[in-house]
Amino acid sequence: MITIHDLRYRSLAINSLSIPPGITTVIGPNGSGKTTLLRLCAGIALPDSGQVLVDGVVPRETETGWVNEFPDKNILFPRVYDECASALRFRHNPCPDTDTSVRRIAETLQISHLLTREMRAISGGEKVLVALAAALVTSPRLLVLDEYDSHLDAACCDRIELSIRNCGARYVLRCTQQMEIAALSDLLIYLEQGKVRYAGTPDEVFSSLSGTAFYPLSWRCRV
Amino acid sequence: MKIVLDHLQVQQGEWSLLVNGTFEEGIHLVSGVVGSGKSTLALAMAGIFTPSQGTVKREGIKTLMLSTQFPEFHITRLSIAEECASWGLDYKDVIRSARLKVDGNVSPLSLSRGELKRFHLACILAREYDLLLVDEPFSSLDCIEKELLCRELSTHDSGITIIFTHEQSIFPHVDHLWEIDAGELCALGRLPGALTRWQRAPALIKKLTDLGRCPVNLTPDAIREAACRIHE
Repeated sequence: MITIHDLRYRSLAINSLSIPPGITTVIGPNGSGKTTLLRLCAGIALPDSGQVLVDGVVPRETETGWVNEFPDKNILFPRVYDECASALRFRHNPCPDTDTSVRRIAETLQISHLLTREMRAISGGEKVLVALAAALVTSPRLLVLDEYDSHLDAACCDRIELSIRNCGARYVLRCTQQMEIAALSDLLIYLEQGKVRYAGTPDEVFSSLSGTAFYPLSWRCRV
Repeated sequence: MKIVLDHLQVQQGEWSLLVNGTFEEGIHLVSGVVGSGKSTLALAMAGIFTPSQGTVKREGIKTLMLSTQFPEFHITRLSIAEECASWGLDYKDVIRSARLKVDGNVSPLSLSRGELKRFHLACILAREYDLLLVDEPFSSLDCIEKELLCRELSTHDSGITIIFTHEQSIFPHVDHLWEIDAGELCALGRLPGALTRWQRAPALIKKLTDLGRCPVNLTPDAIREAACRIHE
């Protein structure tokens, strides 16, 4: 369980929140604290006060994969292959093992054709896929995805959804503005002004949001 | 006023893009899968990227604006007030139209990504252009902001507005639909007829057209109206 107690960081204030294993999606208006919550759970930021624990361990001691919506911020290497291999190389994994892992994850995400390309020459959506490959290559316990889908087409999102579900991560914590994707979660959290307004199953949370722009259009249309 | 793409070709290794087409006044939506070349096409239309072959002719277009996919690329100053001044705008007007709760001294890069996108779009949309190219304008925006942006874009009744996007559910009123498929830009025509020819249409649109309930346009109201006809 990911447990959050008396968390305070900038405008984010969460007194108590438990996130079970599975896929958890955070939704909410711009500036509501979604990315901040994800950064705290990933250990990228430390709380001003309070605590985030992943199975009783602080996030920085948890194997975590992180994908930023703006992948340029995280790119370290000029070539796609090197970017995907970076985490394993930093651990001094044997080169043949690293190569096998990189090619396997590239095949899963259908980006094998990009491995020899320069990072600067690929599209924004392709950069997100490379960032996802770089995050998944270490088989993280916690996978954190910050609006990874906003630069991906529908077919690609469907493919990635399957990869995320089969990646073996005990926890997937993500935020999205695509409510149809949010509806596929085990736990849905709606943040507003730095506070958890609703948390529960997609049915429970969306029923509280009916009549708002956050209610999935396909649910509204009942087709 | 129009922009004519004549045998425009981009070749990068095994990847290629071929474009023939004329974009006239109105709102155009260009879709395509990840890596199909939407952003490259936007850059070529803006004259920032030189294609391997072919020409881009902008006829009667005196003012042009390109909004890139990532708003960070547009920021050149340290504060919101300075950034607005660099656009020739009053920061108070921009903050109001972007619905931000900050003052002019803060750094644009301290905003959340959604807020930064709103700020950037407010700077862009504060003026009118003969040719407005917007690459993934909906990314990072929450559902409320997407609808507000759609309403604003739908009011563009002069000039050429070209939206390059993967968006799946919230769209403005669109006049012409284009799709990049198998390395080539295809003109699908005017709406609503174009919707039945859209190979990779969003799931909901596909479902509605398959059921013979093609929406008159892509706006949420038009989609809801078409869906309601199913339940009659």
